Amino acid sequence: MKTLTVAEMAVREISRRRGVLILLALLPLAFYFSRRDEAYWQSVRFVCLGIGWTLSTAALFAGNAARGMEPRLRLSGYATHQLYLGRLMALWAVGLALATPYFLLMRFDLDNLRYGAVALILVVTVAVAAPFGLALSALLPRELEGMLVLLTVVAMQMMLNPDGTAARLLPFWFSREIGQYAIEHDAGPEHVERGLAHAAVTLAVFFAVLAVSAGVRLRRRSHLATV
Amino acid sequence: MDLRLAATKITKRYGRTTVLDGVDLRVHAGEVLAIIGANGCGKSTLLRICAGLASPDSGHVRVHGALGYCPQQGGTAEFLTPDEHFVLVGAGRGESRGRARSAGRAAAAGLDWAGAGAAGISRHLSGGTRQKLNLVLAGLGEPDVLLLDEPYQGFDNGSYLDFWQQVWRWRAAGKAVVVVTHLLSELSRADTVLDLTPRSVR
Repeated sequence: MKTLTVAEMAVREISRRRGVLILLALLPLAFYFSRRDEAYWQSVRFVCLGIGWTLSTAALFAGNAARGMEPRLRLSGYATHQLYLGRLMALWAVGLALATPYFLLMRFDLDNLRYGAVALILVVTVAVAAPFGLALSALLPRELEGMLVLLTVVAMQMMLNPDGTAARLLPFWFSREIGQYAIEHDAGPEHVERGLAHAAVTLAVFFAVLAVSAGVRLRRRSHLATV
Repeated sequence: MDLRLAATKITKRYGRTTVLDGVDLRVHAGEVLAIIGANGCGKSTLLRICAGLASPDSGHVRVHGALGYCPQQGGTAEFLTPDEHFVLVGAGRGESRGRARSAGRAAAAGLDWAGAGAAGISRHLSGGTRQKLNLVLAGLGEPDVLLLDEPYQGFDNGSYLDFWQQVWRWRAAGKAVVVVTHLLSELSRADTVLDLTPRSVR
């Protein structure tokens, strides 16, 4: 119940940053139309990267904004995991709301895709992007530094040869694998399996970073005994 | 009186600078303790150590009961209304939404802030009103020990007097209250004073 209260308040906070939300919601659209005419198959991947970047950025800001309040909430009786899980749930909800119109756009604007796979990429992107941004905010509490890292990651994800090892170390590589299955009808399900495996490992790493960093920052200090 | 908060031989260093050197602090139920001292002498650090938000280099703290903490800055969420703050902090204390809201509004009214229930998000509140919100949140859920770090910044004179009335109400209710202050003229309002100014500069 406490986790849901944190999630509810985090959704309220995020939804009130209207100007930022509008800009963030439109950014994937720019990514989409940048490749729509000359290479529509890339526009699928680009819109996923745009959503990934957008949601990671929102998570980065949400994580930083929560820093001042979280010690007070710990003292008020919240467990550390309730705080980061609540925020994560809120960001997942916001991410799905952000991704749904883009799925509908691709569903009706692009022909001959495996739409189930397109939906899968969007869901997995949302799943990975939220803990990515929160983990970054935990490691880099200054927003400018976090933004620069996000920008670098997305730019490299777009520029690096996706078949190279370096690209596989980036968090959104799975979008290329699952995207290939969604776009090329001769591509086999092994692409989806590789993509999901990559996403699962990435998600686990970000979740571990988030849990450990929050656990350290909001830990009960050993010098304090409460009777 | 029952001992509520005991900090023993607290030492804290930042680099080569020792800001707290073997400090002891005892506060009992129904007692108000004021911590005074020059800028940088470790008042806020001591309070954060007592709240468990910072670690000392040595020493330990024992708290009997629940803690409420009012930081000097921050401690509120910019995009939440006061009512939402009350619900969020109250849920941590196990209070229902309705009870947390009514308790928060009543405490706000006691600080000459009757419109807390109708107020917008906290980033649009004045500095003094936001600090009142901060103070109300510290007292939500009736904690046994209240740690208040210069909580009256931005208060007008009337609110400042209301603040001390609130402190005395807490004292009368048997709570232990620690107030960090730099206003030496107000020391008569406290039962005990802990001066952290180093002996070399007194």
